[in-house]
Amino acid sequence: MAFARTSAGSRSGTRASRVNGVLLLPALVLFLPLLIGPLAVLLDESLKPYEAGRIGGTEGAELTFENYTELADPAYVHYFLDTFRIGLIVTLAAILLGYPIAHFIVRKASPWLAKLLIASLIGMLFLSLIVRIYAISMAYGPLGPFNDVSWLFGIDPRSPAKTELMVIFGLLHTVLPLVAITLISTIQNINPRLEDAALSLGAPRWKAFTSITLIMSLPGILSAGIIGYAFCISNLVVPLILGKGFVLFVSNLIYFRFSEISNFPSGAAISILMMLISLTIFYGLMRLVRDKNGEARE
Amino acid sequence: MSKRYADAFFFTGYYGLIALAILFALIPIVIAVVLSFDNRTFIGPFPPTDWSFRWYEEFLTSDYYHQGLKTSLIVSSTATLFSTVIGALTAIAIDRGRFWGRGVLQSLFISPLVIPTVVIGFGVLMFASRLGIVDGLPRLIMGHIIITFPYVVRTTLAALIGLRPSYFEAALSLGATPYQALWHITIPLARTGIIAGAIFAFVMSFDEVAVSLFLSDPFTYTLPVALLAQMRANLNLTIAAVSVIFIIVTIVLIWALDRIAGLDKIVGQGVYGRIR
Amino acid sequence: MSSSITRRSFTKGALAGVGLTGSGLAMPSLVRPAAAADRLLVVQWGAQWIEISEEIVKKYNETKDTRIAWELHSGGSAAIVAKIKAIWPNAPYNVLSVWDPVFRDMIAEDWLEPIDESIVTNLATIPDIFIQKNDAGQKMTVPLSTAGAFWGYREDVLPDGFDSIEDLLRPEFKGKVVVPYPINLTGLFIVTCAIQRGGDEKNAEPGWEFVKELAASGAIGQICTSNSEFINAMASGQYGVGFWNNGGWFATAENFPVKIKNRMEDNKGFLYNEGFCVLKGSPLEAAFDFANFFARPDINEMYNIPLGSGPTQPGATANPKIAEWYYKPDELEKYAYIADYAFLGQAKNEWNERWEREIVPLMRS
Repeated sequence: MAFARTSAGSRSGTRASRVNGVLLLPALVLFLPLLIGPLAVLLDESLKPYEAGRIGGTEGAELTFENYTELADPAYVHYFLDTFRIGLIVTLAAILLGYPIAHFIVRKASPWLAKLLIASLIGMLFLSLIVRIYAISMAYGPLGPFNDVSWLFGIDPRSPAKTELMVIFGLLHTVLPLVAITLISTIQNINPRLEDAALSLGAPRWKAFTSITLIMSLPGILSAGIIGYAFCISNLVVPLILGKGFVLFVSNLIYFRFSEISNFPSGAAISILMMLISLTIFYGLMRLVRDKNGEARE
Repeated sequence: MSKRYADAFFFTGYYGLIALAILFALIPIVIAVVLSFDNRTFIGPFPPTDWSFRWYEEFLTSDYYHQGLKTSLIVSSTATLFSTVIGALTAIAIDRGRFWGRGVLQSLFISPLVIPTVVIGFGVLMFASRLGIVDGLPRLIMGHIIITFPYVVRTTLAALIGLRPSYFEAALSLGATPYQALWHITIPLARTGIIAGAIFAFVMSFDEVAVSLFLSDPFTYTLPVALLAQMRANLNLTIAAVSVIFIIVTIVLIWALDRIAGLDKIVGQGVYGRIR
Repeated sequence: MSSSITRRSFTKGALAGVGLTGSGLAMPSLVRPAAAADRLLVVQWGAQWIEISEEIVKKYNETKDTRIAWELHSGGSAAIVAKIKAIWPNAPYNVLSVWDPVFRDMIAEDWLEPIDESIVTNLATIPDIFIQKNDAGQKMTVPLSTAGAFWGYREDVLPDGFDSIEDLLRPEFKGKVVVPYPINLTGLFIVTCAIQRGGDEKNAEPGWEFVKELAASGAIGQICTSNSEFINAMASGQYGVGFWNNGGWFATAENFPVKIKNRMEDNKGFLYNEGFCVLKGSPLEAAFDFANFFARPDINEMYNIPLGSGPTQPGATANPKIAEWYYKPDELEKYAYIADYAFLGQAKNEWNERWEREIVPLMRS
């Protein structure tokens, strides 16, 4: 038995890797150049010196790292930290609220209720981000019916912290359906009988749930979290409008450089830096997913 | 704590969170629907005092918006189709493969997610210009493929996570070719994730402004760009009316799909189907 | 001149496409298959700007068969600059409707064609001070509107108002003041603060001191980056005071009682111009003739009334609603200030960084 398995495994291994190459081909040939091209243009731009009053970097001048080094200022470190911190809060909240919904849809809801919920989650995504923002500022803003909700979080509605809460709400409203829909596909592929088995062996329901279903869906949670987190930290419009100029994301700093002051080199440098940091985080997270995934598969 | 109390506590938390999530999701949607009937040109106190259908009328009667809608539909569906097919294949290869550079490649494929879209728009504009592409449509499609592709890769990977490689291997050991195994086993099981990715891709593309702003030309502009251009002087709530129309169309489409083909068949049920 | 050929042929091709689909802003009725007619691609603002411009073009086409196609600004007008930069010299645009700071940027990039006064005869009556010039002293713009940036307040929210912006440091104005992000309105907010403390745009240090005091006092309730944000902020009733352009005030005044503080003893109101410029490589005769039509006194009057801005032709009458907002000739010296927009264009990068490093942290604490 053991022998049969390994031989099948290795045979399929070589064949599968050939298949993998074929599967990757379209992305390598079609998508990668499309992505690398603009990134290379950006990298090039980020190394050009900028002359005040001009539009974009200076052509033909000597390349410089100045656009990067000037970012080593405590104030800028702060903007990066703010962006990552708020993104993390939103992502955690989205998982906390989204997981039960996804679980409910897969395991508990009657067929029509499940369909209704799925349709609503998808429909919710079609709400334009700009309308979403105005609706949220109407609902939870100073003149809105839910202004006092912020007390639940210990925040005085008149304090600057309220602005941050509004940004969190604004992002969460888009990230929640993103995370919930992603989690549905993960939970579907977890064997429900494992949890049943634990229950029949006398485990309390919360323990059966957390020690089996929740643990097994951890890689999926991370994966959904990555989508949500990426959406948050690259978002521009939500902090731009709901942040009132107090809460600025890195994307806002970039936006001003591109749209208003035409300092493309600095904007490009921040973009490249932001991308490198985020990708390092994601690379680490994905290592984690793979390790967890490996465990779950044993 | 006794088992019964613990379970009661667990269920209260479980259903409490579900109720909270639904409430949080619904409030802005209700307000957006109300806004779309608001006659005012500014965000005033809620509820509005003055009602009208003017934003719906504006959207339904303006050629300017129709042209934008047409472009949006072409751009979003082309980009979604491309990203879904190639993105799903890529995700399967990444999930199955154990090759050098896999992690780097995976990071690279999802990198557009963390680049602000303004930057992508600008980068593609410069890149396309160097390639000699000055027409709006190919530029827009290029930009939208970049922003939609990572969603499909991520969601497909998320769906593949629970699947044991042994399903694929079992099929192979039963004599299936890798392509047959892929087509009959892996893709159907990852279907929910692929479809979720396609939906995200379409929605993100359809609502996208910053990329389109840079890539549109005078005759090829997307609907959000058209809507935004009209918001300079006053708040123009046509955008709310458009959202409401699209939410309704989406829900009707899903309902119709369910009636015609069965939502379960389209979305997939995963390995274990629905058990209750 | 290969670039101009590319551009013109592109415009032609694109217009043919519009003719086929009969779509959009190009207004099918204007796209007649008259082989000899010139074609212009004009960039204009949305909403009132495009509405009134289309009306004027209808009039224009009664005598001239130049075909006009429009593209709308979607972000700030600086976005179009980024777009042109990326594709220059293949930009398809011919005539652009922008304002002084952007004119300065484009003059610096050497993208503009000097105005041919033998065709744009109406330029002669427009006050010289409104017109932007290049280093050689050539006239580069056709100013159509005088607009401004002013302090003001909602009289229903703050019946007592204020006499000087020094008052805004008092506790009762905490959280009540709406200001532009410093690079919006090309930094005029920093300039007004500088003037308050005896400086100006070239001596901005006193202004930064005032901004710091304002930020630390908690007076600033919101920082806006666009007109619609400002309009919504003022409409919310949460804030009472603001510094913004006449467009934002005009829209606010349509719904609420607004008092413009453009005649303060210790500060100034800021004036600038919006108008047309012509990109190099355009069909010049048609472009200048088109611009000249918009500069005609009666058309200039018609153009500015719905925009809430002042006409540039002395012979045109302003919208009576905003008459108060502008200065009589003898007041100009005392209350009006025309900043050095070329200088501001160079300062904005540094000012933006300074704001990010020094001011935002003050408001977050």
